[in-house]
Amino acid sequence: EEKNNNHIFKKFKKNPHTMGAMTPGMPLFSPMMPYGSGLTPQPVQNTNSLSILEEQQRQQQAQQQQQQAQQQAQQASSGTSGQTPQLFHSQAVGGSTTTALPGNTPLFTTPLTPMTPITPATPSSETSGIVPQLQYVSHLIPPTPIFVVFSCCKLDLKTIALRARNAEYNPKRFAAVIMRIREPRTTALIFSSGKMVCTGAKSEEQSRLAARKYARVVQKLGFPAKFLDFKIQNMVGSCDVKFPIRLEGLVLTHQQFSSYEPELFPGLIYRMIKPRIVLLIFVSGKVVLTGAKVRGEIYDAFENIYPILKGFRKTT
Amino acid sequence: MAYQLYRNTTLGNSLQESLDELIQTQQITPQLALQVLLQFDKAINTALANRVRNRVNFRGSLNTYRFCDNVWTFVLNDVEFREVTELVKVDKVKIVACDGKSDSSCSAADVLLCFCASALFFF
Repeated sequence: EEKNNNHIFKKFKKNPHTMGAMTPGMPLFSPMMPYGSGLTPQPVQNTNSLSILEEQQRQQQAQQQQQQAQQQAQQASSGTSGQTPQLFHSQAVGGSTTTALPGNTPLFTTPLTPMTPITPATPSSETSGIVPQLQYVSHLIPPTPIFVVFSCCKLDLKTIALRARNAEYNPKRFAAVIMRIREPRTTALIFSSGKMVCTGAKSEEQSRLAARKYARVVQKLGFPAKFLDFKIQNMVGSCDVKFPIRLEGLVLTHQQFSSYEPELFPGLIYRMIKPRIVLLIFVSGKVVLTGAKVRGEIYDAFENIYPILKGFRKTT
Repeated sequence: MAYQLYRNTTLGNSLQESLDELIQTQQITPQLALQVLLQFDKAINTALANRVRNRVNFRGSLNTYRFCDNVWTFVLNDVEFREVTELVKVDKVKIVACDGKSDSSCSAADVLLCFCASALFFF
């Protein structure tokens, strides 16, 4: 941010003391403004650090500042001419506005947390600027983990099914109790060996929390259950590349990784080797990634597949 | 062997109370009372299956569900029972449901109920 400051500061230095265009009495948004843009900016009035500050603020809350400035300007119109035009938004000179695009840089420097839209590492997208970055990858939906927990002791499933709420037990069909809780919204399979599988949570933490809740339910029923050995077995993620894909082309060039049988299943099954992830790729551009043990594998797999998919974009 | 499900209904409970009184006053033996109840089970099951034709719809939100020993138990809240003629609203209703066809291993109704329970539980 500092560098940006200096950069803009230097531009302001061009016209340090011109008061010509902006006398206090002049209306704020006059058409004579030399540097009009959609943001209704005001031309540079004074070069001082205060203006720079205002510039930064404007970048983030342009509308708000303008409204305030309008009010203050009317108040200050009777003030001295020496009054710094802190009320007037300083503007980078000339066409340089677009390259600075200060409004975009904060986005670029935002640290990448797992939950935010993924930033592409692919070099080819850099040239088109920052805006496409936001477009092409809509949110990579956070992976849903499936948890396995070993809760330590042998369980009597019939007792659990009879006494716990929201449980199903049909031993003829499946040898486990299927229990659900609403918060986090998950389903668990509880086996008589004491092992439990918990699915449906939207994050690793939620999955762990849900598994603990199930263990507590079992505990309250009188079994000496302990929460041991929890381990994420699988994570599933999904996303949208926002363009249609030529699956037939993809299967031809990547046949050692892909299998595509449209009569059996409409998606192409891509088995990536590194990381070891299975992707289901659909004509619509939607992609499902599964088989990950850690969240990073999903992101890596997507980074790997995205340039390939771009190469098979449908143009009609 | 018919379901003994209907013994805990108004009708079934009245019958059981009457039988208990008769046993107290030594007018019948407990064995006879048991036979009466078994006959009641058969009669009520066939009556409901064959002699009842009207249809009631109900709608509510699912609080809890349970499935064990092929018996579904639901607790619903804010339920509206709707018949052609009338509407009844209740805060809480407990539904105990047994399999319709007793000799099928997994009837279609069973599967449908499983699915509905899981879907309704979350929403």
